[in-house]
Amino acid sequence: MTCPHLEYREGDGSREFETARAFCTVAERFVQPVRADICTERYDLDPEADCEYFREHEGLDWDE
Amino acid sequence: MTYQEYLDGKPVVVTAALTGGIHGKETHPGLPETPEEIAAAAAACEEAGAAIVHLHARRDNGERAFSTERFQAVTDAVRDATDDLVIQHSTGGTAAPDALRAEPLRTDPAPEMASLDMGPMNRGRRLTSENTRDTIDGLHAEMRERGIKPELEVFNDGHLNESFRILDDLADPPYLNLIFGPGTLSPPSPANLQHMVDQLPDRAEFNVIGFGPHQLPLTTQSLLLGGHVRVGLEDNSYYRKGERATNEALVARSVRIAEELGRPVASPAEARDLLGL
Ligand code: SF4
Repeated sequence: MTCPHLEYREGDGSREFETARAFCTVAERFVQPVRADICTERYDLDPEADCEYFREHEGLDWDE
Repeated sequence: MTYQEYLDGKPVVVTAALTGGIHGKETHPGLPETPEEIAAAAAACEEAGAAIVHLHARRDNGERAFSTERFQAVTDAVRDATDDLVIQHSTGGTAAPDALRAEPLRTDPAPEMASLDMGPMNRGRRLTSENTRDTIDGLHAEMRERGIKPELEVFNDGHLNESFRILDDLADPPYLNLIFGPGTLSPPSPANLQHMVDQLPDRAEFNVIGFGPHQLPLTTQSLLLGGHVRVGLEDNSYYRKGERATNEALVARSVRIAEELGRPVASPAEARDLLGL
């Protein structure tokens, strides 16, 4: 499952892209290409396990 | 690979790392991502004095791509736009599986060089590029089979041990890339660079990367130690504090400094000679 906080957007009000890019609605910004590997669960990465933004948003700390 | 080589005016090989895999246009709007943008940047860097281009490939949305097909599109565009540049493909990964990471080696023709990470590197809190020995040996075997010269990516001192482990399997000269920056990279300082260089075998050639603000001082130090330099937007987005860079401006600055210091800049043909390609 792709992260529920991920959206592909062409712009964020201050800049526009020709092709929609990964945008994190938690951090309210476009994410780096390598971060998108987590957002999309590419290569078995998992937002809940691997993303600090996701975990903070869900109120999870790293010991859980 | 020594101060004496600096004094003797040994040519320096300038590598341009145009794109990388970590950041994209969300960080630097001028970062080349499409095959056409990467090719234009490569041509400008060749004009500015680079002998090698280090290439990554991206999907249309800027995310990282490893597929042979996408690397083929990038390398074809770069070959069309440039005269004689040495082409080096990245095999460095994040969590991408080994099979995928070998794909950049399978373009036609094969790249003359490819990067070979010598051990793990952490990114962020939970992301790591593993680079187990199996991964290293698998990629290295495929490079040997295809006649591709590996550039050994040494992220820290421990990766020198891994480099020494395969030294006998490498054609002369072994080419090591010493990388300085945050996290699990070697802490950036002139003393650490000198310390790493002191440990290298005589037959090796080395290249230096400094991330961000360390690019300028540490690549300059490499010039003084008889080493080579890599610059470009993959490693450093800024020309100076507050001023965004371009790939060709970073290359042009290295070329100027090298020449001022008495190191002629190697053409691609001279780089092939020096590095045994
Ligand atoms: S950065 Fe984290 S929270 Fe945001 S979309 Fe990606 S995985 Fe989800």
